[in-house]
Amino acid sequence: MSGLERLIPEGILIAGAIAVLLSGGARPSPRAGVGLGAAVAALSAIAALVVGTGEPLFSGALVFDDMAVTVRTAIGALSAVYLLWLSAQEPGPERRREAAVFVLLATLGGMLMASARELITLFIALELGTMPAYVLMGYRREDSRGLEGALKYFLLSMTTSLVMLYGMSLLYAASGSTAYDAIGVADPGLLGVFAVLFVFVGLLAKMSAAPFHYWAPDAYAGAPAVSVAFVSTVPKVAGTVAFVRLAAVLMPSVPELGVVFAVASLASIVLGNLAAYPQSDVRRLMAYSGVAHAGYMLLALAAATPAGYAAAVYYTLAYAVPSMAVMLVAAEEGTAVDDLAGLAARRPRHAWMMVAFLLSLIGIPPLVGFFGKLYVFLAAVDAGLVWLVVVAVLASVASAGYYFRLVRSMFFADAPEREAARPGALAGIALALCLTATLLAGAFAGELLGVLGLTF
Amino acid sequence: MSESVNGVVFFMLAFATIGGALMMLATRNVVHAAYWLLETMLATAGLYLLLSAEFLALVQVLVYAGAVSVLVLFVIMLTLRRRSDAIRPFEPGLGGAIVAALFLGAVYLALTRFVAPAVEMPATAPGVVEFGQIMFTEWALPFEIASLVLLVALVAAVWWSREGEDR
Repeated sequence: MSGLERLIPEGILIAGAIAVLLSGGARPSPRAGVGLGAAVAALSAIAALVVGTGEPLFSGALVFDDMAVTVRTAIGALSAVYLLWLSAQEPGPERRREAAVFVLLATLGGMLMASARELITLFIALELGTMPAYVLMGYRREDSRGLEGALKYFLLSMTTSLVMLYGMSLLYAASGSTAYDAIGVADPGLLGVFAVLFVFVGLLAKMSAAPFHYWAPDAYAGAPAVSVAFVSTVPKVAGTVAFVRLAAVLMPSVPELGVVFAVASLASIVLGNLAAYPQSDVRRLMAYSGVAHAGYMLLALAAATPAGYAAAVYYTLAYAVPSMAVMLVAAEEGTAVDDLAGLAARRPRHAWMMVAFLLSLIGIPPLVGFFGKLYVFLAAVDAGLVWLVVVAVLASVASAGYYFRLVRSMFFADAPEREAARPGALAGIALALCLTATLLAGAFAGELLGVLGLTF
Repeated sequence: MSESVNGVVFFMLAFATIGGALMMLATRNVVHAAYWLLETMLATAGLYLLLSAEFLALVQVLVYAGAVSVLVLFVIMLTLRRRSDAIRPFEPGLGGAIVAALFLGAVYLALTRFVAPAVEMPATAPGVVEFGQIMFTEWALPFEIASLVLLVALVAAVWWSREGEDR
C-alpha cells in the first residue's frame, strides 16, 4: 500500500518509545533515556512537517490536510520541549524514563487524533492519548492524595469516554457508517440529535468545559505539577482538532449544537475566570484557567464558520504553550502561589519569562494569546454572537486579576530564605523555546490561521 | 439465514438478560451481584448468537464473561475484609429514579421515531472468516492502535508494581 510514508512521524514515535523503554537495560542513567525521548519527539515533529499534506489513508480514516500537518508538528514539538525540560531536572522525578515513554505514546495518540476522520479510529486514538495520562497523573504512588487525584481523573475520563462511545454507536446506528462524510449528511432525527449530544457531552468533559469541568481542579491538584504540565496541554490540542473536525461535519445536520456550544462557552468563561480567583495552588488556578480557555475555544466553535474552526485550533495552540511553561516553572519552584514568592530575586530571568507567559494568557498584544483571542472574537462577531463576545472580553480583562497574583507573588512578596532550584541549563532552554513561540507565533498568526483555515 | 429469529428462544434470552440485570441491582450481596452480572453477560452472548453474530458472541463470552467478571470477583474478594462486608444496603434514591425515567422516556421516544437508514444487508450473515478478512484489511489501523493501547497498559502495570527509586 503506497502512501504509508505519511505515517513516518508515528513510526518514529513508536520506535523511539520502545527504544527509550529498553534503554534502561543498556544505559544506567534515566536522564539519557529522557534526552533520547526528546530527540525522538523533535524528530517526529520535523518528520510531520517534511512529510506534509497528502491523500487520506485507510479509506479516509486518516486525513493529512494542512490542519493535520500543523497540529501534528505542534504536538511533536511541544512534547520535545517538555521532554527536554524533564531531562534537565536534577534530581529528576522518580522513574522518569518510563514517564518519557508514556509522553511519547500519548504524543502518538495525539497525532493520530489530529488526523482521524472516522469514529472508531478517533475513539481508539483518543484512548491512546489519554491512557498514558492516567499513569502520569498517579505518578507519585506513595502519595495518597496524588492517587486520589489520579483515580478521579481515571474514573471520570472513563465515564466520559463511555458517554461518547454510546453516542458514537448511536451515530453509527442512525447513519450506517462511521466515516465522517457519511455521518454528516444523514438526516439526524431525534436519535441522531441524542447521539450528537452524547458525543459532544463526552468531548466537552474531556476539554474540561463547564458544566462538565468539576473533575479537573481536583485531579490536577492531586497530581504532580510535572505531569499536569503535559496532561493539561498536549492532549488538549489534539482534542480540539478532534472536536473541530466532528463539529464541522455534525453542526450542519444538528444546528442546535451552536446553542449548546454558546451556553457551554459562556458558562466556562464566566465560571473559570471567577473560580480561579480564590485559588492558592498554581495547579488549581491553572485548572480553572483551563476551563476558561476551553470556553474561548468553544466560542469560536459556536460561530460555526471555517474561520471559527481555524480560530479554535489556533487558540488552543496559543493557550497550550504558555500554559505548559507556567506549569513547568511551578514544577521547579513549588505548587503553591506563595512558593513563587521572591522568584524575581532568586531567578530573575525565570520571573520575567513567567510575566511574558502570563501576559500571553491574559491576551496582551503582541503576544500569541492576544492573536488567539482576537481571531476567536472576530469569528464570533461575524457569526452574530456579539453579546457573548462582550462577556468574553470583560471576563478576560477580569482574568488579569488572578494572573497578576502570581506576578505579585514573584516580584513583591517577602520570600523566606530558601535554596534556588538549580535544574540544568537545558531546562532554561526549554522554557526559552516556549518564550520564543509565545513572542513570535503571534507575528505569524495570519499565515498559521490561513493554513488552518484552508481545510475542512 | 431466515428472516426472523426464533421467538421463544429470543424471549427466554431477553428475560434472562433483563432479569439478570434487575437481580444484579436488587441483590444486597456484592458477590451475588457479580454473579448476576456474569449471567447477564452470558445471556447477551446468547442473543448475539441468535442474530448470527458468532464472533461477537465469542468475544462476549471470552472478554466479558471470562475476563471482566473474574476481574470483578477478584477485586471484590481482595478488598473485602470480612464476610459481612459483602452485604451492602440497597438505597434507590429519588434523583436516580427521575434521571432513569427521563432517560428511558427519551430513548423510547427516539427509538419509536427512528427510521433505519437504507443500508444494503448481505444475503447471508457474514461469518468469522469474512470478519477476520475485513478486520485485518480495512480496519487494520484501529486494530494496530489498539495494540499500542495494550502496550501502554502493560508498561504501566509493570511500572506501577515495581519497587524502588530510580531517578
